[in-house]
Amino acid sequence: MTRREAVTHVAWILGGVFSAPTIQAMNRWQEMSLSPNAVHQTGAFLTETQHEIMARVADLIIPRTDTPGAVDAGVPDFMEVMLRDCYKKPAQDAFLMGVDGLEKKGFLKLSPGEQTATLRQIEADAPKDGSPSFWLITKELTLLVYYTSEAGIKASFDYQPIPGRFEAIKIKPGQKDFMYGNQA
Amino acid sequence: MNLNIKADQGQTYDAIVVGSGMTGGWAAKELTEKGLKVLMLERGYEIKHVEDYKTAFKDPWEFEHRGKISNVAAEEHYATMYFSAKEGSQYMFTNDKEHPYVQKRPFNWIRAYHTGGKSLVWGKHTYRWNQEDFLANAKQGIGIDWPIRYEDLVPWYSYVEKFVGISGQAEKLAVLPDSHFQPGMAMTAPEIHLKNSVAQKLNRPITIGRVAHLTNPQPWHTALGRASCQFRNRCTRGCPFGAYFSSLAATLPAARQTNRLTVVHNAIVQEIILDDKAQKAKGVRVIDQNTMEVREFYAKVIFLNAGTIGSTSILMNSKSARFPNGLGNDSDQLGRNLMDHHLAIGARADIDGFENDYYFGARPGSLYIPRFRNWGNDKRDYLRGFGYQGGASRADWSRGAAETGFGADFKKKMTQPGPWKINLSGFGEVLPDPNNRFYLDNNQLDKWGQPQVVFDADFGENERAMRKDIMNDGAEMLEAAGFKNVVAYDNPVAHMGLGIHEMGTARMGKDPKTSVLNKFNQVHACKNVFVTDGSGMTSASNVNPSLTYMALTARAADHAVAQLKARNL
Ligand SMILES: Cc1cc2nc3c(=O)[nH]c(=O)nc-3n(C[C@H](O)[C@H](O)[C@H](O)COP(=O)(O)OP(=O)(O)OC[C@H]3O[C@@H](n4cnc5c(N)ncnc54)[C@H](O)[C@@H]3O)c2cc1C
Ligand code: SF4
Repeated sequence: MTRREAVTHVAWILGGVFSAPTIQAMNRWQEMSLSPNAVHQTGAFLTETQHEIMARVADLIIPRTDTPGAVDAGVPDFMEVMLRDCYKKPAQDAFLMGVDGLEKKGFLKLSPGEQTATLRQIEADAPKDGSPSFWLITKELTLLVYYTSEAGIKASFDYQPIPGRFEAIKIKPGQKDFMYGNQA
Repeated sequence: MNLNIKADQGQTYDAIVVGSGMTGGWAAKELTEKGLKVLMLERGYEIKHVEDYKTAFKDPWEFEHRGKISNVAAEEHYATMYFSAKEGSQYMFTNDKEHPYVQKRPFNWIRAYHTGGKSLVWGKHTYRWNQEDFLANAKQGIGIDWPIRYEDLVPWYSYVEKFVGISGQAEKLAVLPDSHFQPGMAMTAPEIHLKNSVAQKLNRPITIGRVAHLTNPQPWHTALGRASCQFRNRCTRGCPFGAYFSSLAATLPAARQTNRLTVVHNAIVQEIILDDKAQKAKGVRVIDQNTMEVREFYAKVIFLNAGTIGSTSILMNSKSARFPNGLGNDSDQLGRNLMDHHLAIGARADIDGFENDYYFGARPGSLYIPRFRNWGNDKRDYLRGFGYQGGASRADWSRGAAETGFGADFKKKMTQPGPWKINLSGFGEVLPDPNNRFYLDNNQLDKWGQPQVVFDADFGENERAMRKDIMNDGAEMLEAAGFKNVVAYDNPVAHMGLGIHEMGTARMGKDPKTSVLNKFNQVHACKNVFVTDGSGMTSASNVNPSLTYMALTARAADHAVAQLKARNL
């Protein structure tokens, strides 16, 4: 069985547990050969400037409000770990190409409004078929890392590691999503 | 390989049980409780209940890749990825790279080589088979007739169910006989709506899934240290509460209490040693998975509980002058009639409304829709039937990646429960077919010098015809409930093995010419060898099989002890 078939299985079986982009990301295993330095490579994946760019992008996706933002939750560093260990070369390349594009635009020197507009444009231009793109990978990783971080979970959700019961309830106004820590 | 065989003269037992999983646990419990000195041999490493559930209490941020599978893990777990694609449970599944097998036709061999076997990772859906399941082969001229009937198993079902602890709802349906239940788990609002709509419009019952979780533990459960389910749904990381049934939480502690159980880990049973004169098994030959040391152990009775493929492989590997093609293989049925349940097919939908409905807790179970095809007055152009497992839940933050937008409002939105979604996943019966088989390849060896398993099996016309109904009927029910964006799906690459209900490769039967085991799971031609895992199944039903394996094991153990006492073994 090929990797593509295998991951398609995951998608079908778990039906709805993974977002479409996550499944697509897993799908990429198929085309990608395992390159030894893609697995436990030490040292930085991005240059310092690129790292700064990604920190800014992540913070635009999940900004600091009355709760911590992406950078507070350590998204940029973790993003690199995830890219290195869980994505294969074509996805890494697509991602790096996107970072490169932002670097060439002088992203860090743009005003906050221009930065947001740039990302809106990138989002609008991103392929809708779920194929690996800078935007998809970035957003997926930002959400994953933020909403599974201690800061992100505790600030965003009603975290219940041992609920003790299961019952149908009515929602209260402003009800936060319950999180049970059972996704790993 | 170290061929210096150490014969354990002092190591003679009344019974040897091969495998510590779902059925091995039952064999050990029953045999020790009936007074036998038992040796359990487990090929995998040791997992100790509670203390070795090393990820059970980890929070999401404590995982190296936040639950995502790494490239390295993906290479090692290619076949088991569907169920071990999470960091928390990876260690509970066998590394495929280290334990290779051959797929002549595509097959997923999903294994759990360690104490407790797959009983530590199973989905815990627990259903009795019905009367028709044991009659269908004979009535339809498929395969061979079962040597037993539903009624033979009823007392053993009851016996096993009370010990296991099963939550569920009695429904008095002939198609899905009731078990002894603890309180069933709750349904969510859209699920109740689906249940009512489908009952009214299509006259099909929907019940809460029957799962092996304690919801009202009885004294015999708490005596073993088992407690009520905490609804964390982290079960595949091991349950520190002993709330779901596993060998580790239930049968092994019971067997240990007798002081008659010895467990040896890392012991790969290669073959059964035959006493040529007596035409009986006298022991087993074992290779240590770490040291490669070869040892022999002796006993009066041998129970094979290594999982269907594992047990049948051991029989195949046990060659002698009397059995040149494998122990008990006079019928040439060893390895044939490999069955599974077919899945990766069904329907899903979005649910509008129910915005004010939510739920507290993570339910380790789902709805169950019992078989309705080829049942009662329903007649299809294929044989047998299928059921569904599924349920409705609200989408979480992970929906965000597919949605447009980012920034403060988007961030806030992700903290609130998303829209409801529902999925119904079908499980269909597979017919026995002698050409669906596996065999051993003596030219391709694993690192312990053991022949690799070659799978050569696929779904047939009957399964393919059934799949159309599984899709359409699933969609029809979701539409009956008025749900939106109904999508009926069939994964074109679904194939054997993925159901992890592999069974049938040493079938039971009345006639030694056409079957390997008799009605008590004894090898016809070698009566002191019992095979009581899925190997013995003569047909597959469409409901999950483990309860039936357990009932058969308890029944066989009872018979074995009676025969030993009568000096017939
Ligand atoms: C993800 C998943 C979900 C499932 N869901 C359900 C469900 O909802 N309902 C249901 O009824 N069933 C379910 N199953 C199937 C269920 O787990 C099996 O039917 C059951 O565990 C089979 O019991 P067994 O004793 O035959 O094998 P196992 O439980 O696998 O135990 C076999 C043991 O034998 C050992 N062994 C193998 N070979 C050797 C050897 N040569 N020497 C020594 N030891 C050996 C293995 O290491 C293992 O410990 C599921 C399985 C999985 C993986
Ligand atoms: S959901 Fe229940 S059975 Fe599963 S791990 Fe939690 S307490 Fe144990």
